[in-house]
Amino acid sequence: MGTINSAYALISGALNADQEALSVVANNVANANTPGYTEETPDWQENQAITVGGVSIGDGVSETGATSQRDLVLEQRLNQQQQLASASGTRLTALNDMQALFTPDSGSSSATAGDIGSDITNFFDSFSSLESDPTDNALRQSVLSSASTLAGDISGAAASLNSQSTALNQEASGVASQVNSLTGAIAQLNQQIQSTSPDADAGTLEDQRQQDLSQLSQLVGINQVTTENNGLSITTTSGQLLVSEGSNYQLTTGTVNGVTDFFLGGTDITSDLRTGGGELGGYLTARDQDIPDALSSLDQLADSISTEVNAQNNSGTDLDGVSGTAANPLYIFNQPGAVAGSAAGMKVAMTDPNQIAAAGAGDGTGDNSNAVSMASLAKQPIVNGQTPINQYSSFVSTLGSTVLQVQTENTAQNASVTQLQTQNNALSSVNLNDEAAAMSTMESSYQAASQVFTMLNTIMASALNLGEQATVS
Amino acid sequence: MRVDPSYVTNLVSSLDQAQVNEQQLSSELSSGVSISSLSQNPVGSGENVLLLNQIQQDDSFTQSSNLVTGQLQVADSALGSVASELTQAISLATSANNGTMNSSDVKSIGNQISGILDEVETLANTSYQGQYIFAGGQTTTAPFSTSTATSPGVTSYSGDEGVNYLEIPNGQKIQLNVPGSQIFLASGSNSVFGALNSLVADYANGTVDTAQAVSDTEALNTALNNVSQQRVTLDNSITGLSSASSAATNVQTQLTTAQTDLMQADIPTVSTQLSLAETQQTALEDVIAQLDSSSNSLFSKIQA
Repeated sequence: MGTINSAYALISGALNADQEALSVVANNVANANTPGYTEETPDWQENQAITVGGVSIGDGVSETGATSQRDLVLEQRLNQQQQLASASGTRLTALNDMQALFTPDSGSSSATAGDIGSDITNFFDSFSSLESDPTDNALRQSVLSSASTLAGDISGAAASLNSQSTALNQEASGVASQVNSLTGAIAQLNQQIQSTSPDADAGTLEDQRQQDLSQLSQLVGINQVTTENNGLSITTTSGQLLVSEGSNYQLTTGTVNGVTDFFLGGTDITSDLRTGGGELGGYLTARDQDIPDALSSLDQLADSISTEVNAQNNSGTDLDGVSGTAANPLYIFNQPGAVAGSAAGMKVAMTDPNQIAAAGAGDGTGDNSNAVSMASLAKQPIVNGQTPINQYSSFVSTLGSTVLQVQTENTAQNASVTQLQTQNNALSSVNLNDEAAAMSTMESSYQAASQVFTMLNTIMASALNLGEQATVS
Repeated sequence: MRVDPSYVTNLVSSLDQAQVNEQQLSSELSSGVSISSLSQNPVGSGENVLLLNQIQQDDSFTQSSNLVTGQLQVADSALGSVASELTQAISLATSANNGTMNSSDVKSIGNQISGILDEVETLANTSYQGQYIFAGGQTTTAPFSTSTATSPGVTSYSGDEGVNYLEIPNGQKIQLNVPGSQIFLASGSNSVFGALNSLVADYANGTVDTAQAVSDTEALNTALNNVSQQRVTLDNSITGLSSASSAATNVQTQLTTAQTDLMQADIPTVSTQLSLAETQQTALEDVIAQLDSSSNSLFSKIQA
């Protein structure tokens, strides 16, 4: 049977519970802008009813804490999408830097021309002009000057690509140390969570862990596996262990063939990380795939032009009546040793314009047959089965298509990240309207409970005075 | 239904996007160029390289063709003068051969023909910008010289048989010179110098071996025909060059139009897009300002 005393106890419990709930709401409002904070809702529990003499009487309410509003599956999907988006975003930045080196030439007259394509055209055209007067010094000089413009532009582009590659290398190494500090923090959080909250959501600790995971997803492609007692293991997308519950494994870097490679426990996992995603994946894809592709096209172009033009010049007779020999070759360009690196090393070796062999072998110096042959190299498939200008044209188309493709991918991935982010925010971030409503509700119930308390007080006084007007009130 | 409370942040990123758009469009408008990076139009960028290549080739050919036309014209006019000199020599020889002249008149004709021989030799050694144009590839030394140590005298050729060609953009080759030996020292009775030297010898003594002199005169006539034929080759080159050059100019004009169409910004379209982007930006700014100024949380309604 219920008593006034038990009603007192019940209602003071309700007041306590309301206070606790109010402080949960206050905490939500306070953390409304804290990164990684998830909104918490107060947990209410009905106290066990008391059965006295076969009659069951309610025993009020308790506030048993707060629950974070979190959807781990949604967060994991968000992280995965983030890995893809940041990989393509990083790669896109690198590709944009690359394509800036090959800006399309809008001018149509040779005077305003400036890109490598125009350089190639001008170089071979200078031989066509030389056909008209093979002994003219000005025309010979213009062959050498157009050759040095071509060599300068190709080697300049190659040098810029190389320095971009070095910069990407450094950025990638920087990412490794950030990954290590995040995996260290996650391992530590794992230990705390496993000891304090093995069975339930760990609240603010879980917030921190999720925040670290989201940052880690920006950097590198990962898989996460939940283990017993609310622990977490993290592997790279290809399965190498980064965090195993309470311990983490350091990603180390080392130089292999002049570039930085990444190791985990002595195993070189660079190629796995490249395809894995995250910023690191983007840096490595640009460094190991996009830049080498572009460089190899330029190398082929430089190597073929240098070698073929040198050979052709060497087989003719120059203005002094001299023909090239093995010991004293008549080379216009530095003869490349190997295809790789020939773009960076492209340079004009000839200084005396008289050494341009416009005349055929053994012909008089007024002959132009070798100049005709050199000019016609422009129309021959000397670069990998293509003419030099066609090779350059398909090179710029390919590079442009790659940039466009990555750009499209990146846009789609970012849209998907935004969508998932919106879903996640809708669930987990603090909505001030909700908090205001909760505050209002809590306020009313607190006021109601205190009102009940006051009334109980009056009732108690009446009981003590047994209906008489007396001192107790 | 729950909503994302940070939707204003999303609106701001839309605003950023609109501004990026406007920036790109206005830079297209100010530069007049529609493709400023390869990824904007990868296929067009490749096409542009090829178009520029052809345009520049045509441009360069037009310049070269102006250069060589001068040389061809000098060669042509030299051969024209040679032809009139030879015509004169033939009429002198014909008058000497009719048997009515006395010895001193014959000698005088011999001297005149010898003068013509010198004149023709000078013409055969014509140079253009320091290069001998009838010397084949050996353009640095005068190709013809006559020795009178023997009788008849002998004119020798120190040039070679080299022929230069200019390749026009469609791959066709135009002949730029005819070796002097083919014009002046052609085989058989086509040799200009052979016939002239013989005639000089025929009239040197004042007595004429009529049969020999008539035959030598006929040889000179044949040689003159040969010179005219060789001249036709050069004339053909001049005509060929001029038509190739105007064809190249026409093609260049067409290609330039195509290239301009490809690379130039379509001003009306870009302007329309820019104005749309501006409208979008204004709308977004208004929405954000509205959301900002009206207190968008219930807290402001709760009375303390």
